[in-house]
Amino acid sequence: MSFTLDEGEFLCLFGPNGAGKSTLLKILATLLRPTSGTVRIRGFDLEDDPEAFRARLGLVSHQSFLYDDLTARENLEFYAGLYGVADPAGRAEELLRQVDLYDRRDSPVGAFSRGMQQRLTIARALVNDPDLLLLDEPYTGLDEHAASVLRDRLRALHDRRRTIVMVTHNLRRGIESATRLGILARGRLVFLAGRDEVDADGFEDTYFRCMEAP
Amino acid sequence: MSRVWFLYRKDLRIEFRKKESVASMTFFGALVLVILNVAQGPGRRLTPETAAGVLWVAVIFSAVLGLGRVFARERENGCISALLVSPASPGTVFTAKALVNLTLMLLSQAVLVPVFFVLFGTGLAGGPLALVPSLLLVDAGFSAAGTLLSAVSAGTRRNEVLLPILLFPLILPLVALAVKATGGALAGRPLTELLPLLEPLAAFGLIYAAAGYLLFPFVVREG
Repeated sequence: MSFTLDEGEFLCLFGPNGAGKSTLLKILATLLRPTSGTVRIRGFDLEDDPEAFRARLGLVSHQSFLYDDLTARENLEFYAGLYGVADPAGRAEELLRQVDLYDRRDSPVGAFSRGMQQRLTIARALVNDPDLLLLDEPYTGLDEHAASVLRDRLRALHDRRRTIVMVTHNLRRGIESATRLGILARGRLVFLAGRDEVDADGFEDTYFRCMEAP
Repeated sequence: MSRVWFLYRKDLRIEFRKKESVASMTFFGALVLVILNVAQGPGRRLTPETAAGVLWVAVIFSAVLGLGRVFARERENGCISALLVSPASPGTVFTAKALVNLTLMLLSQAVLVPVFFVLFGTGLAGGPLALVPSLLLVDAGFSAAGTLLSAVSAGTRRNEVLLPILLFPLILPLVALAVKATGGALAGRPLTELLPLLEPLAAFGLIYAAAGYLLFPFVVREG
């Protein structure tokens, strides 16, 4: 597959299980090396300086990446320190307020509900104020409150021209936020278009047509 | 360097909160010493070489318990992936983990060595302080090799079994030298006489540390 994403774009990729969505995100996050081809960020090969690239990357995966035995505040302070944030404690406090977990800042994460953990996961991914945010099924298991927190955070990031790539099964959530929509099937990018070029009501038919095509 | 500190502090914070590794390492090591003391029988004294062997059996077996736990923690909730997509290099993660393991070993030995002297110290010319050089050198090498192999075994379902099977053959030269050096120290030989044993111990530690640092990225990355 081959595609180019401009700075500040919000690409939402849809596809069935096994289509290669998570693999694509892992390659973009430098967790996997592509078997062939290259990933270029601002013209530079990702392999050239992966650590500088990772410093500006945020990732929300299937897993929370949180330490159950640390409190919410300690988790965020740890990640902020790891990313070299100037004031880890201040950044942690700011993010805890943004995801409505400030009152529970000193509770261990292991005692959090799934929705609270997911909100903290979002805060964790934003700890370095990333230029590129990768999200893998971020709405899975979220209650309405957590989903609205995520939607607000994504909107705020998009307004500040951060680039976002999200993979999801949820067509409605994807269409409402993205500026570009793509469909992955059998490891290939079979559809890619700007949000303006797509009829939101008819997108589901497009999706199923892509799935059925040989 | 500050990233090593953040990783190190995080692991120790969890450790002191849960007290999983140090408590189990110390308790298990002390139990081994007591069992060996009972097996020795009342009123019998050990030669310095045999006493050194007893000490290292307790130290090495107890240390393996802690090693597996420190890395397994990173596999919970996929935290290792978060470390790999952070700007911290795999070498940084390795260094921090090795330092955590070293700290846990030193903490448990702060209890085990006095217990050893209480149970087996009668008739030994060397005291606890004489053991410090060989303990430090072995701990450094052991924690470096153990960190690398615990990263290998943490990704498997048979973590607890696989780690000692991989680790013990690898550290055999280290333990053999340590028993000789410790036996010499317990016999009251001065440090200068033990240098021919301590120098290769330091060399093994450096080799394990360098190999661990270089190989760690290949162990923790998926492809």
